[in-house]
Amino acid sequence: MRRLILLFLLILPTSLPAQDHGDRIRDVVDHHILPGFEALADTTAALAQQAEADCTAADPLRQAYTTAFDAWMGVSHLRFGPTEVQDRAFALAFWPDPRGATPKSLGNLIRAEDQAVASPDSFATVSIAARGFYALEFLLYDPTFETMGTPTYRCALIRAISRDIAATSADILTDWRDHYAGLMLSPHPDSLYHAQDEVLRELFKAVTTGLQVTSENRLGRPLGTFDKPRPKRAELRRSGRSLHQVILSLTATRDMALRLAGPDTALNARLTATFDDTLAKATALDDPIFAGVSDPLLRFRIEILQQSIDHLREVLLSDLGPTLGVSAGFNAMDGD
Amino acid sequence: MATRRGFIAGLIAAGLVPKRSWADAGSPSYLAAARQPDGLFSLIGLDSYGAEAFRVPLPGRGHAAAAHPTRPEAVAFARRPGTFALVIDCATGQLKARLDSAEGHHFYGHGAFSRDGSLLFTSENAYETATGMIGIWDVTAGYRRIGAFKSHGIGPHDIRLMPGAETLAVANGGIETHPDSGRAKLNLPTMRPNLSFLSFTGEVLDQVEPDPALHLNSIRHLALRGDGTVGFAMQWQGDTSMAPPLLGLRRPDGTVQYLQAPDAPHRAMERYAGSVSFCADGTLLGITSPRGGQVQVFQAETGDYAGSYWADDVCGLSDGPAGFMTTSGTGDVDAVAITTREWRVRHTDGFDNHLVRITPTL
Repeated sequence: MRRLILLFLLILPTSLPAQDHGDRIRDVVDHHILPGFEALADTTAALAQQAEADCTAADPLRQAYTTAFDAWMGVSHLRFGPTEVQDRAFALAFWPDPRGATPKSLGNLIRAEDQAVASPDSFATVSIAARGFYALEFLLYDPTFETMGTPTYRCALIRAISRDIAATSADILTDWRDHYAGLMLSPHPDSLYHAQDEVLRELFKAVTTGLQVTSENRLGRPLGTFDKPRPKRAELRRSGRSLHQVILSLTATRDMALRLAGPDTALNARLTATFDDTLAKATALDDPIFAGVSDPLLRFRIEILQQSIDHLREVLLSDLGPTLGVSAGFNAMDGD
Repeated sequence: MATRRGFIAGLIAAGLVPKRSWADAGSPSYLAAARQPDGLFSLIGLDSYGAEAFRVPLPGRGHAAAAHPTRPEAVAFARRPGTFALVIDCATGQLKARLDSAEGHHFYGHGAFSRDGSLLFTSENAYETATGMIGIWDVTAGYRRIGAFKSHGIGPHDIRLMPGAETLAVANGGIETHPDSGRAKLNLPTMRPNLSFLSFTGEVLDQVEPDPALHLNSIRHLALRGDGTVGFAMQWQGDTSMAPPLLGLRRPDGTVQYLQAPDAPHRAMERYAGSVSFCADGTLLGITSPRGGQVQVFQAETGDYAGSYWADDVCGLSDGPAGFMTTSGTGDVDAVAITTREWRVRHTDGFDNHLVRITPTL
């Protein structure tokens, strides 16, 4: 049996034909990355417009916020290139926030009636913790912030954050369209990506890192330890998005992983089954803010979901990685 | 009649028992944490020919170790966020003591002895406040904890004793973690690593902070040369399409120089340096890239790139007979001279991150 496996390993192709590599990259860029950032730019523009029209923390604005945040979750795993210029991704999504910098910074702005809200340029200079979707959640869903300071200032702040989110998202899209998509589609020895396998490695890492963040932060933070669960650390619990975020993260990485698996039907089927099994566990949870982490029985099901995501990541590392020419060593994948 | 037993008993009574030395542990030159083929973990002593001198089991995955300057004793640290470290008698394989981190602290996996071996310093996280700490242990009192001081940064990782001084060099990696969230990084937007030089009482004698634009470059591992030059290896936490320097040199006059290979081999590091070391005569400085499967070597004086040596999953690095000695996750111990290998000893164990030189302290 062992000899058979060895034989099988020996006849596996070591790399894919260039045509195939190029097709996978084009599929991810054209059908995953660009549409994702277009949706983010569109929905965040709509959010800014809605805030302009009616800045009260009520349904229309909350709906626009939800739609825009969902769009961010479609691309939040793509942490390279345009999202990393000038800390743009952090400016959209400052989380986790173990020291409570976001409520602190927002409180400071409101108490001082800081006039940085007056213009986009000046707002871009406030603490990064007071910018982005996570800051806006406090203003739209937290009772303390819904009444802090004057309605006029709160309104100006909500509008400033929404405008800033839209501007950052538009900048990311512009960079992707104008040059970064081209860099990924046409690797060249004199360019940022020298060859297609480097591009594939970048894309593959985005998938595995995205899942790691979901396991360690989105689930690991509220789970804490058995003796000390931390339900208040659940991501976006004020807006009830904690579990929703996990589902969106799985959905986005699933789409990207399957495009990377490309025409390999056996691999595609295996990845589909593993992702769908994990997604089924998530949707069956019926615990939107992971309140169950403090209950031994309910906690067990959240831990199972976390293990399922870790398993999913291992399957990607062992099955998809080698197909794309990404090796996984003891130290290489897990250093310190 | 003077029997042998009586003679030895007399010696013991007179307090004249010859002290054990590293020779009693098979004269290992290096220590490395490893994963055995059976999945269990151990600390392995390697001689200067890359052969196993001893092996002691560890309860879990190890990271680095600190070798006592004279006695055949090593402190083996668990991989972070561990809460205990084991003092192992490398001559007998016996556990001599166990260090438990203070309440609310965990270890980061590195430690350094004072020159006379009477004190041990450990890098720690006071995790409720995310304060980097250095723990102080009295070795002569059986590794009793006697205090701690601030590391003056978040996430202290490697720690070394500066040559000829009672000064510690500490790599404050800058990344906040909390054991509740495993190894999740909690403060990337605001992280600020530094290299701090601290007295034994915790005063800051000097500090190197990278350019704010490189605040996502976590300073993690250190190498020291006899004249006080410090090499520091970094791990980039930011944009994966960027290729910032991964190696710095801080010279005794306080000047800092960043070193990197030409674009292609530099990018092949994939933004991560695993270990850093000078060669034996101090003229060369190397860093390992387990992701890129290479060791990159630089001229210590000029900072010029000297070449790369390629080996799968290579991470452990120390000085060695050919210039450098490396260990890899695939079990290879290689004697490396810049770009070529003089010999290789293959083990069935996978070697973990670091190769620690047992050497008289500088």
